[in-house]
Amino acid sequence: MSRAFAVQFRRFGLPGATVLLLAGAGLLYTVRWEWSPGWMSLVMSQRTYLMLSCPVAIGVGAWLARREHRAKVAELFAATPRPRHQRVLLTLAAVGGAVGLAQVAVLVVTGAWIASTARYLPGEAIAAAGVGVLAVIASAWLGTALGRLASTPVTAPVLAVAGFAAILSVPLAFHEDWQSTLASPAWGMNQFIEYQTIPGRVSAAQAILAAGVAVAAAILLATSRWRTRTAAFLPIVLGLALAVTVMPHDYDRVTIDPVAQQPVCTADTPRVCVARAHAGLLDEVTPHARQALALLAKLPDPPTSVVENTNTYLDESTIVRYGADTVPFDVEVGDDGHLKHPEFLLDRMLDSGGASAAGCPNGFDVATGMAAGAWLSGRQPRPDPNAGTYVVGPGETPPPGDDVVATRLWERLRTLPEAEALARVEAVRRAALECVDARGLLDGDTR
Amino acid sequence: MRYLALHLRSRRVPAALVAAAGGTLLMWSVVAAFSAVPDADPTMVVLLVLLLAASSAHTLGGPDDALERTGARRWPPLRAVHLLVAFALITGLVLATLPTGARFGPATMVVRDTAGLLGLTAVGAATLGAARSWFVPLAWTLPALMFPFAGDSVAGRILTWPSQPPDSHAAAVTAAVAAIAGLAVYALRGPALRNPG
Repeated sequence: MSRAFAVQFRRFGLPGATVLLLAGAGLLYTVRWEWSPGWMSLVMSQRTYLMLSCPVAIGVGAWLARREHRAKVAELFAATPRPRHQRVLLTLAAVGGAVGLAQVAVLVVTGAWIASTARYLPGEAIAAAGVGVLAVIASAWLGTALGRLASTPVTAPVLAVAGFAAILSVPLAFHEDWQSTLASPAWGMNQFIEYQTIPGRVSAAQAILAAGVAVAAAILLATSRWRTRTAAFLPIVLGLALAVTVMPHDYDRVTIDPVAQQPVCTADTPRVCVARAHAGLLDEVTPHARQALALLAKLPDPPTSVVENTNTYLDESTIVRYGADTVPFDVEVGDDGHLKHPEFLLDRMLDSGGASAAGCPNGFDVATGMAAGAWLSGRQPRPDPNAGTYVVGPGETPPPGDDVVATRLWERLRTLPEAEALARVEAVRRAALECVDARGLLDGDTR
Repeated sequence: MRYLALHLRSRRVPAALVAAAGGTLLMWSVVAAFSAVPDADPTMVVLLVLLLAASSAHTLGGPDDALERTGARRWPPLRAVHLLVAFALITGLVLATLPTGARFGPATMVVRDTAGLLGLTAVGAATLGAARSWFVPLAWTLPALMFPFAGDSVAGRILTWPSQPPDSHAAAVTAAVAAIAGLAVYALRGPALRNPG
């Protein structure tokens, strides 16, 4: 048994698995920014690329089935004393084991990149990764079964292209997220927010459907008569019915994981917190945050803690505005899994005297906030790499950047007596906390 | 006539024709049934051309290529004609949808992609053998469709040439190079001699 399995694994499984591993790891490494923030991001990114892995697995399965046919060994194998279902099981285990291992190996190869920075590993991420493995195995088995049923030279390429077209377009035929999610394992896996998750029941429903397809493919391979082959419909129908029942029908593909948003804080004071999803970055954030608190201490009633802003701004009614005692800031993760632009973190924390105007309904004057922060740090405002670029219309001169306006305000502020400047910065801070317009608070002749 | 019939049979052209016609009919019906506009999405156009090029891939070799080469025939012109006829059939099949309610166009893009993808298939046949030749156009096109590129970088346009808009010079040049290279290499060298399997 084990020797036959080893031969099948080498002959059938390894070529396909190598293609999947190389293509999968290569693709993921070209889009590192998608998954560098954490495990859930990595899993969702890999699920997105099932759009390619599943059709490739189908094609590989069909190609392998065709190869056995071309080698003209079917009759020889049929003459061996091992029963047909056992031989089929060997082939299935070899093919499925190899492509499943490849899918896991892609996670291992890419996971090494973020292993030192990613901490939060929810059960949902493991379940979603498992669905990906099941989906590739089911695809490979389906390809093998169809490749054996229709053993022509065009089967494998046609199945691969048709599979790609199907996984791309079938989910679009549905209007509800839950239907599209059942139609394709790659649907809705773009992560918009790093606190996003895939609920366990959704993964369960997808796993049931994938298992149904896999069993159907196994039945197709193990049976030799057309009448018994119709039994393959049974697991598909059953799996579909069960999956539809398990799937939450109000599923929204942007589902937020409240645990990922929970604050993880330093043990000592002053308190610095990041969301659980970014727990691995706490040590990188803390020195910048404490420096910001020290600089803000000259304000009357200064803030005492720095907390990651976990607002998602998906729903206006749930926006949390942080109070005067807290400096909120946004965590941005770079391609390497570490903080992106850490040299700008202090500037951003000091903006508007440590009071974020994010979520204010009418926005906030960016330049005024920057100038107030610059006065606290004593450093000239710099162009922020995250600032959006202004689209210049034809014949239009672009307005000066926020950093240019802020520098002007900041230079003016520095000429004022210390107490007067501090009072003006404090006024900007109040304005940001209360969401009122701060324009003119720094450069007006009187407050 | 007898030679032609034997050639078509040894290349299993009927299977390719059935797959090509069936695939076109299927994709045409899907677009006709579900698309809100009469013009098929460019991705679907590229996929149809890819499907047709890939289903003609196995016709680039016979059951025993080594034996065939010993025959006293001038193979290069025959192979070139085989490729050109495949090109004509594929473009004809796709462009036949233009007067209908589900159009797979524009024609310039269909011609460009057919030429380029068939060229890649021919390169595949000359290097990997006819049975594996479809790996090459698939390996290039599917990732290019997943990462549509709309920037100005010439390298990006060349890498994603099958899905570039029809007026892209970089894509047209890439397709032409692939087509000419495929035609030349395949016509002169023929399919690579590998054991079928």
